[in-house]
Amino acid sequence: MKRALIETGKTYGFLDFVRIPMRVCPFYTVIKMINQAAAAITPSLQVLVTASFVDTALLIFAGSAEREAIWLPLLGLVLLIAYNNLNWQLMSFINLRSEMKLTRVYRSQIVEKRARLEYRCIEDNETWDLINRTCTDPVGKIRGGFDNLMGAAGIILRVGSLLSILMAQVFWAGIAIVAMSVPLFILAIRSGKEIYEENKEAMKFTRRADYLRSVLQGRESVEERALFGYTKEVNRLWHEKYEAARKINTSVTLKYFIRMKSSSLITVILSLLIICVLLFPLKSGAVSVGMFMALVTSTLNLIQMMSWELSNTMSEIARNTEYLKDLTAFAGLPETEGALDLPKESMTFDSVEFRHVSFRYPGTERYILKDFCLRMEKGRHYAFVGVNGAGKTTITKLLTGLYREYEGEILLNEKPLSSYTQAELKAYFSVVCQDFARYQISLEDNIALGNVLEYDEEKIREAAGRIGLSDVIEKLPEGMRTPLGKVKEKGVDLSGGEWQRVAVARALYRPTAVRILDEPTAALDPVAESDIYRLFGRISAGGTTIFITHRLGGARLADRIIVIAKGQVAESGSHEELLAANGIYAEMFEAQRSWYQ
Amino acid sequence: MREKRKNNSVKVLLRLLPGTVRPVPLLFLVFIVITVCHGISWGVETVMQQRFFDQAAAMAGGSASFGAALTALGFLGAANVGCQVLNGAGNFLPEVVGGKVLGHQSKEIHEKIARLSPAVFEDTGKLDDINKAEAGKENAFWFVCDFIALLTFYIPYFLFMGWYLFSLKPVLAVVIVIIFLPTALAQLIRMKAFSDLEDESAPVRREYEHYEACMVSREFFRETRLLGGFSYFKRLYLETMDLMQRLKYRASMKSNLFELSMRILTVAGYVGILLLLFDALMKREVSVGAFAAVFNSLGMLYSLMEEIICRHISDMAQNMGSIQNYLNFLDLEERKSERSEEPGWGDIVLTDVSFSYPGAESDAIREVSFTLKKGETLAVVGENGSGKSTLVRLLAGLYEPKRGSVMINGNDTRKLSLGALTARTSAVFQKFQRYQMTLGENITISDRFRSCEERELDRICDMAGTDRKDFEKGYDTMLSREFDGVDLSGGQWQRTAIARGFFRDHDLIILDEPTAAIDPYEETRIYNRFAGIAKDKSAVVVTHRLGSVKLADRILVMKEGRAVQLGTHEELIGQEGEYKRLYEAQEQWYQEG
Repeated sequence: MKRALIETGKTYGFLDFVRIPMRVCPFYTVIKMINQAAAAITPSLQVLVTASFVDTALLIFAGSAEREAIWLPLLGLVLLIAYNNLNWQLMSFINLRSEMKLTRVYRSQIVEKRARLEYRCIEDNETWDLINRTCTDPVGKIRGGFDNLMGAAGIILRVGSLLSILMAQVFWAGIAIVAMSVPLFILAIRSGKEIYEENKEAMKFTRRADYLRSVLQGRESVEERALFGYTKEVNRLWHEKYEAARKINTSVTLKYFIRMKSSSLITVILSLLIICVLLFPLKSGAVSVGMFMALVTSTLNLIQMMSWELSNTMSEIARNTEYLKDLTAFAGLPETEGALDLPKESMTFDSVEFRHVSFRYPGTERYILKDFCLRMEKGRHYAFVGVNGAGKTTITKLLTGLYREYEGEILLNEKPLSSYTQAELKAYFSVVCQDFARYQISLEDNIALGNVLEYDEEKIREAAGRIGLSDVIEKLPEGMRTPLGKVKEKGVDLSGGEWQRVAVARALYRPTAVRILDEPTAALDPVAESDIYRLFGRISAGGTTIFITHRLGGARLADRIIVIAKGQVAESGSHEELLAANGIYAEMFEAQRSWYQ
Repeated sequence: MREKRKNNSVKVLLRLLPGTVRPVPLLFLVFIVITVCHGISWGVETVMQQRFFDQAAAMAGGSASFGAALTALGFLGAANVGCQVLNGAGNFLPEVVGGKVLGHQSKEIHEKIARLSPAVFEDTGKLDDINKAEAGKENAFWFVCDFIALLTFYIPYFLFMGWYLFSLKPVLAVVIVIIFLPTALAQLIRMKAFSDLEDESAPVRREYEHYEACMVSREFFRETRLLGGFSYFKRLYLETMDLMQRLKYRASMKSNLFELSMRILTVAGYVGILLLLFDALMKREVSVGAFAAVFNSLGMLYSLMEEIICRHISDMAQNMGSIQNYLNFLDLEERKSERSEEPGWGDIVLTDVSFSYPGAESDAIREVSFTLKKGETLAVVGENGSGKSTLVRLLAGLYEPKRGSVMINGNDTRKLSLGALTARTSAVFQKFQRYQMTLGENITISDRFRSCEERELDRICDMAGTDRKDFEKGYDTMLSREFDGVDLSGGQWQRTAIARGFFRDHDLIILDEPTAAIDPYEETRIYNRFAGIAKDKSAVVVTHRLGSVKLADRILVMKEGRAVQLGTHEELIGQEGEYKRLYEAQEQWYQEG
């Protein structure tokens, strides 16, 4: 097994832009590097060949050489032209190959790392932004970094080789150039960094402007926008932010251009000085006319390169440095051990108990659960009720092992929850959550995902039938095999209610001991919602179920209703007991019931 | 085919030009002058090179003075400085102009959107135009710039060089043609090859991206992990990746091979030009200096030709689609507004109103007739998809009826402007907005950020159940994590939206299931308070919790787009019908025992 490309705790540096492709596709990478080097020295070769061509032509004019002598330098010129024009096209084959290989290896490793992350990384907005930044087009970013590095090396090689030819002709001219180029480089490097900082400043305004624009243009806000008629006012706010960002951006761009163009103007002056200096040996005959012309040409070519290529390379370097920081942080994100494992074969369930559990989400102050105690046993039906934000959903996240940093104890079959592997936990609990997944695969596979260990078409059909999907299946063009959603061309999209049934069918098909329904029915009207709860209760008879809801209708079906308030169990008991106790539940129930009297 | 496209581009250009130039006409003029000079400056540089080389060669041969060479060098240097300065200015100016013009156009887009009928947003085709107008506008600007650059930079440069080559030796002018042909041909075929690739691989790529999302996106992460579904999706992911790569490989190989052959053609042309020059040199028709200068400029000629054809023209062609979106957007019909004075308040009378969403086959509302009396509270009930939300949008004046009429105080809604129609109406919609603004702005946005005393806000918040003490900075609390503020829960947002609806000065208020995210206890309190303030105003409450309808004067029952029952609770509960069925289904949960 090869070492992973994404290593936890590793600090990524510029060399990794070479190391990663080197490890994935060494052959192509070496070829690319060799070609890059060759491309960098061709301008120098061209100087030599052009010089020899012009000199030979002049000799022929002077009658001191045969006409045939010209063919060799001419051939050299032709070869150089051919290489210059064909080289990138030939490399594109190599690039294609290496990109495919990188996608297969590097991109899948990134995906895998992402899938293994601890769940809190997904829910934390800042970390999520980091993940998104690092993981969009990862191959392109590695390739970009590689090319950037090669480009920088290429510039150095190109300038260096030209310098050595120059120095071979007039020794001190070379030294003078080196001395004068150093400040130029420093200027270019500095400007790259500064521009990055100022862009960040402008980004703040741009983000705000973009948000306001979405209010002014988006489909979601159309009703309020039309009714409240606030376009004029919000438009003014938008324009303010837009102008603020634009002014910063313009001044940054102006600075960028001034820097870039002053570095090329300096190069122009430098070149003029060199050419001036070269005129003396030309006059004295120490430098031939051909060599003189070739050197002049290549110095002039440097000017354009110094302005665009150098500043682009530098700002790329600044960007890539940021990416490396991101990559280092991403690689360092914590993973959940066994996160990708398949569920274990079915486990027996007796009880689960929360003993004085307190929990707050990482990075937040407020305790969602505080000294929470609850025992649930096999074969019974529970309902969690309570106001929004009371911590109902959090309990399921703890049970399923998504969060593990709680205080107190959770015991599963009298053993600490933390002693179970992810694979075991997956076999104990199934959850249909509020934002259940709408997998754009066939209806059959959507349900089959409930049990990845064993595929049983009969049982799938049965689960679908029991939740009332038979009619839907009949209407689908390819029955259960019809792809759902709009990703596939022949896919059929279901209505919200039908999707909900698919999600519930998936839970029914799961062979877990405990099934949790976490308000998957928010989009349904109360009648349809109660139907689902009733159906689900009947189907899971004998198993253990937990309904989470803030509508009381469905709660009544449970053996035991747990009222959660302020992170604790405020009341618990059967519907009748709780009504008799005349507490929160009774008050909530009364509030709803009063409407029906 | 070519001819036709050219015509289209010119038409598009003429259509776009006024809007692009109008905000900053002077800057555009400067831009044009600079690009013309810029184009010619590169030609001048080549001529100066030739002069200098000739002088230097002559000096080496002893037939010219050092001073003459130095002067020629001075001219060459001046030409280079000129090129660089013009190059900088020519590239910087479009950025400045762009920033200004695009800002101006965005503003106009926003205003135009406000004049559209909200129903347009339900039309997928037109929605696409609206969503892409922003990107299209940007592409449209660069389209105009590219076109201008083509006329003012590239063509002058090539004309100048053509003239220069012709003056050296007439046959050399053919060089321009030799450079042009293979580049243009290659581009034409490349565009074809890539659009084929895109057509073929797009569906596979969608699948591939979806499978990746199934493994790692926020939407799927939790469920896929708990199901242990990673291996399943990884297999699909790798399969589609392979398929996609195979498709891409095939298409890229084809186009790469083709391009390679085009390149070989380019090289052949290049060598041809070299031989032409060489022949002229050997025959002493051109000087060594001219030979070197022209030879040096070949690289520039080629790269500029590629820039025109491969970058600009191909960008123009590629962006044509999104520019078309922008033009379509500009052509979208605006809501006609014959009368903009407010109609005054009174009864709303619906007569045989039908409405269908754009592109939908059946009507969402069918022949609905009833009168909402002034000061009345009406509840609208029915199952999901029975047309409740559509009906209230018609009542609010957001939609115009397809058939039948809606009259407000005797005025036909179709004859009134949107502003006049909605002036006295407020609403809390099912899909209320969560504005990433301060708490105060979130409430006052409903009345155009009307400034008011804190006491008024306090009163409104109290009615909606929002407690100001929950917010650290009171009404100045920013409600968005992204903009350095706080996150609200679903219930808190809903209460904020209710406060927003209450804040707007109104005669009619519409509540479209405003309490879905609020717990039952809170819900009851809000409805009771609402009943208090709605007393002397018209109100429409949409709900599927029948319990809450009793505060209404009358109840309208919707089923499959029709109004099937209308009456008081007592009347309706006494009839066999939809209302009784719905009511009983819910009531059973709350009966004793």
